[in-house]
Amino acid sequence: MKHRQIQKPLRSRETTLSLIRVRSVFHPWLLFLASLAVVTSARGDEPGLEPIDVGQPTRLEVFPPAVKLAGPRSQMHLVVTGHYADGSVQDLTRVAQFATSSAAVATVELGVALPHQDGGAEIVVAAGGQEAKLPVEASSFGTPRPISFEWETLAALSKQSCNSGACHGSPSGKGGFRLSLRAFDAAFDALTLIREDLGRRTNPLDPDESLLLAKPMMKLPHGGGLKLKKSDAAYAVLRQWIAEGCQADPDGAVRCVKIEVYPPSGRVLKRPAHTQQLCVLGHFSDGSVRDVTDLAYCTSSDNQVADVTPDGLVIGHDRGEAAIIVKYMEHVESCFLTFVKDIPGFVWNDPPTANYVDEHVHAKLRQLQYVPSGLCSDEEFLRRVHLDVVGQLPTIEATQAFLADASADKRSRLIAELLERPEHAKFWALKWGDLLRLTSTQIGGSGVYKYHRWLERAFETNMPYDQFAAELISASGSTLDNPAANFYRTATDTLDSVESVSQVFLGARLQCAKCHNHPFERWTQDNYYGMAAFFNRVQRKKSPRADELLVYMADSGEVTQPRTGKQMKPWLPGKGEIDPPAGADRRDPFVAWLTAKDNALVAKVEANRLWSQVLGRGIVDPPDDFRDSNPPSNAALLDALAKDFAEHGFDRKHLLRVILNSRTYQADFRANDLNKDDAKYFSHYQPRLLSAEQLLDAICATTDLPEAFAGLPAGTKATQLPAPDLAKHEFLKIFGQPERQTVCACERAGDSNLGMAIQFFNGPLIYGKLRDANNRFRKLLAAGKPNEEIITELYLAAVCRKPADKEMQASLAHIAAKGDQVVALEDIAWAILNTNEFLFQH
Amino acid sequence: MTARLSLLALLLLPVLAAAEPVSFKRDVAPVLLNNCLACHGPKKAEGGYRIDTFERAVAPGDSTQPGFLPKDHEGSEALRRILSTDTAERMPLDGDPLPPEQADVLKRWIDEGLAFDGPDPKAALASYIPAPTHPAAPEAYRVPLPITALEFSPDGSQLFVGGYHEVTVWNPADGKLIRRLANVGQRSYAIRFSPDGQLLAVACGAPGRLGEVRLFKPETGEMVRVLGMSSDVVFDCAFSPQGDRLATAAADGAVRIFAVADGAEQAVITSHSDWVFAVAWKSDGSQLATASRDKTAKVFDAKTGDLLITYSGHNQPVRGVLFHPEGAEVYSAGSDNKVHRWKIADAAKSSEIAFGGELYKLPAAGEFFLTASAEKKVRQFKAKEQEQVREYAGPKDWVLSAAMHSATKRIAGGTFDGQVFVWNADDGALVTSLHAAPGYAPPTN
Repeated sequence: MKHRQIQKPLRSRETTLSLIRVRSVFHPWLLFLASLAVVTSARGDEPGLEPIDVGQPTRLEVFPPAVKLAGPRSQMHLVVTGHYADGSVQDLTRVAQFATSSAAVATVELGVALPHQDGGAEIVVAAGGQEAKLPVEASSFGTPRPISFEWETLAALSKQSCNSGACHGSPSGKGGFRLSLRAFDAAFDALTLIREDLGRRTNPLDPDESLLLAKPMMKLPHGGGLKLKKSDAAYAVLRQWIAEGCQADPDGAVRCVKIEVYPPSGRVLKRPAHTQQLCVLGHFSDGSVRDVTDLAYCTSSDNQVADVTPDGLVIGHDRGEAAIIVKYMEHVESCFLTFVKDIPGFVWNDPPTANYVDEHVHAKLRQLQYVPSGLCSDEEFLRRVHLDVVGQLPTIEATQAFLADASADKRSRLIAELLERPEHAKFWALKWGDLLRLTSTQIGGSGVYKYHRWLERAFETNMPYDQFAAELISASGSTLDNPAANFYRTATDTLDSVESVSQVFLGARLQCAKCHNHPFERWTQDNYYGMAAFFNRVQRKKSPRADELLVYMADSGEVTQPRTGKQMKPWLPGKGEIDPPAGADRRDPFVAWLTAKDNALVAKVEANRLWSQVLGRGIVDPPDDFRDSNPPSNAALLDALAKDFAEHGFDRKHLLRVILNSRTYQADFRANDLNKDDAKYFSHYQPRLLSAEQLLDAICATTDLPEAFAGLPAGTKATQLPAPDLAKHEFLKIFGQPERQTVCACERAGDSNLGMAIQFFNGPLIYGKLRDANNRFRKLLAAGKPNEEIITELYLAAVCRKPADKEMQASLAHIAAKGDQVVALEDIAWAILNTNEFLFQH
Repeated sequence: MTARLSLLALLLLPVLAAAEPVSFKRDVAPVLLNNCLACHGPKKAEGGYRIDTFERAVAPGDSTQPGFLPKDHEGSEALRRILSTDTAERMPLDGDPLPPEQADVLKRWIDEGLAFDGPDPKAALASYIPAPTHPAAPEAYRVPLPITALEFSPDGSQLFVGGYHEVTVWNPADGKLIRRLANVGQRSYAIRFSPDGQLLAVACGAPGRLGEVRLFKPETGEMVRVLGMSSDVVFDCAFSPQGDRLATAAADGAVRIFAVADGAEQAVITSHSDWVFAVAWKSDGSQLATASRDKTAKVFDAKTGDLLITYSGHNQPVRGVLFHPEGAEVYSAGSDNKVHRWKIADAAKSSEIAFGGELYKLPAAGEFFLTASAEKKVRQFKAKEQEQVREYAGPKDWVLSAAMHSATKRIAGGTFDGQVFVWNADDGALVTSLHAAPGYAPPTN
């Protein structure tokens, strides 16, 4: 029975106790144990699990439906689901009773089936008056199977996070002990663990003396603290691997080829149901399927909503959604779960919808029991939509006209009109200028104007997004004749091209995979270099003409994966390796794949980017960080937007129009009691600080004093600058204007800082504008306008509304008290510029 | 059950109680080191409290309560926490409580007024606790261990090989086990004979726990002395050419020099910032060369311990070191897979030899030196001319250790997979090979 030592280790005490407590509900004679559990919870050991209200399930479903246990160390997590008459489901694994028809063949201990000898039997699962039966078959019980180095030993180290980036997986390791990040390089780890420093870390003759065990168990000093307990599955694996003599896997050893996570994504759990046991199955190259739940590394995308225990029990804490990311070896899968609960006072008020955007947003809000805020005022809408679509405040005339307009469709008419304004093209060229890194240092003075003009034209003509992407990615020729070719000027080499294309068009931050498999995502180092094979033939040659670069394709050239030395075939996400015809431009098949109507990802990335630009937060957020562990907050909404976008020929203005016309976009920023906790599901508008360029333009508009940018035509607005380094501006820099060194949307800092506060307190720009003899209020004063009119104009210019009575009275009182009219007006203008209402888009 | 346990305790306790007063170094220090060091040592000082020296152990940590107070159980925070029934504060945290007999030692020591019998309240406890008696070696080895140390007896008739808590002695002619020498540290990293052949020095230790050099009488296996105890293994030791001094190189980063006659510590050199893998004497005994994981090799004045020169040319851990016979240069070898030869005067590299794998120590043998390396063979060089004489191949795994006996013309190499190979230095022919793990049955395939 020696092999039994690695069998299912002791479940954690917490789980066991809570299990007892829950069971005691049905077994009164266990009440004394329940009282024990209460003592435990008083000491804080209890993880806060709600008792399961089994109710009356109509049937039980057990996963997997049939259990095969091959080999003495095999096991299988069983997951029991109760189905109810109302269509709801809940995980009953914690309370189900398990029995087997032959305890000699197999038993089920705490939800885990274990073999005892070869043979067949039946597992009987009972809960809530229902029963389910499933066959279990044990085989090869007498055949010892040594521990696999790769998929047990290394998986165990990954499970305990020994090889995480913060610990021994960091590039320089920790304490002289270095592992590959999340075990992406098994050969390297074999050297380190088995051989490095004369085999110092392991002791096969006395395994518990091994540094590999004694340190993380804190029997010896360990900088990382306690990371391994005897009750951990990883302990048993590591110990046995050492005792077996620390063997690396032989050539041709069985490998894990994929994993499967149960339950599949989409399950909704309603309190008191708030836990879900996972079962992770590994599918191996020999066709076998093994339970790898104990060694799979699980994390939650949102720990506020739910987290997951080492045993694979997901515990919901709050309403919301969480993706549980399951990583085993290089394989990543996720399980998306929704947690809902009854909120006191919640009544769905069935608000009207303007279009499908609202339908999807409302469906999510209703499910999670948030009540959306009402519509914003006309004044707020006017200011909001101007800032979003053209980057500018409306003029006083435009404001007055809009407010005076009584027609019902005035908002949608304004939206349509703004989208056709030239400022719209200029403002969105600024946004794409950030992503495409338009700077004169990188592209040259004349080059950057041409590239910017190309972008502006693309928005003016409403160039379809697929064409837009294709023109950039397939660009060749002179950067002066074909400014889109500057894409390969700012992306200075093959790897930069891969990273830029993937971040901008695929929403994937791929940089990690350059040196190692992405620690948490699907991207592997092979994927990275497979993508590189599309771009490595792009050649760049300087020409004698100033600011010109010639971009062309070489006929040959392959990419070598630096770790494996393998020559990489071009590889497409979701498609795999392809064989492009010899002589063809390899970028063509990439672009064809990228812009295909059925490439949902690419449409989603741009739809999400458009959404995030006007709602202040992506459905996937950050908007250029699509990954399993960062799921959309409303997948149905994003799907619908992407579908609409693709169906309308990737028409960006169409999609913006849909979004801007939704009640979701036009919602009040004021939260109500039933949505104030929400920052993800768009129940109310999220106010945000104006961007650097918007803010400068807004100050100029309010004071009626345009800013002059050296070397640029008069009247150029900050939101229309081709590049930040053409006219360096201190104020813009302080307020987060990016230098455009990266393609990351994160380069534009959204956080406020002390420097900004100082600018508004007594910075030179504000001071200068307020003191300028030609500013709005001085000119009005000179024209002999009464104080009331001047104050009203200031409010209309800055915040698109007339001052409230209280504001008017306070202003007039201040003028009276100050004595000096002009100084008092300066104070008032300064105060208005310092209000959140001015500084924020709301 | 409880009654029987108490009875047992009563039977045992008087033996302790009647004994002499508690000795700090003998009774208390080992209890502290074994139970508390992981969290309260130089690496991690939880609660600002450390027990690695007497001075620190009795002092308060971040709390103002001293670790130990004379004749005051409640006021001795360390004892109070050890005896606490509240698992949230009981020491060792998250661990099993201290066995009662060990707690009793602490209580009695407190009652007796915290008497200190160590050499220096500031000295590391690990350096003066009594040398342990090591557990017996396994009767039969389940798996072989890497051969990290081996050496021929002065007459060449025996081959001493590092084992698990032992040194095994083999006949290099036929590969038969002659005897086993017990009470050795867990793993041996160097085995050296004194120039007169009367002493056997074994640098040994348990990784992360203990390091020491044990001196034995080679014929009887009687232990003469234990030197240089520290908290991690000792990788190397070397007798001075005159035989009066022994230099050690250890994982605590220190190089120590002892007088062989009485074991007095003459110098501790802490110039290296990481493990010191190897140490070698110049032929006149005036200088020491060292190799370290800190990626340097260094030369010191053996009398004063002063650093003379640092060589940083490997850019990788340096694992072997040797003086050129003429004394003005040093050979060093390391993880850059090269032997470098460089001048002591200015650390300028004169030449280098490339290998197909990581290198380990550079054993000297008369006019020759050997290389053991991951290229799976031993190479023999003329030290003065830096000229390769021969390669000794056959191992299927890395060669970690090597030795030569000039008179009998035998060369031995020890491998990672636990084998020892003996070759004829005249023609490179294999004389014998063996698994240096008594009772181990290699798999038959």
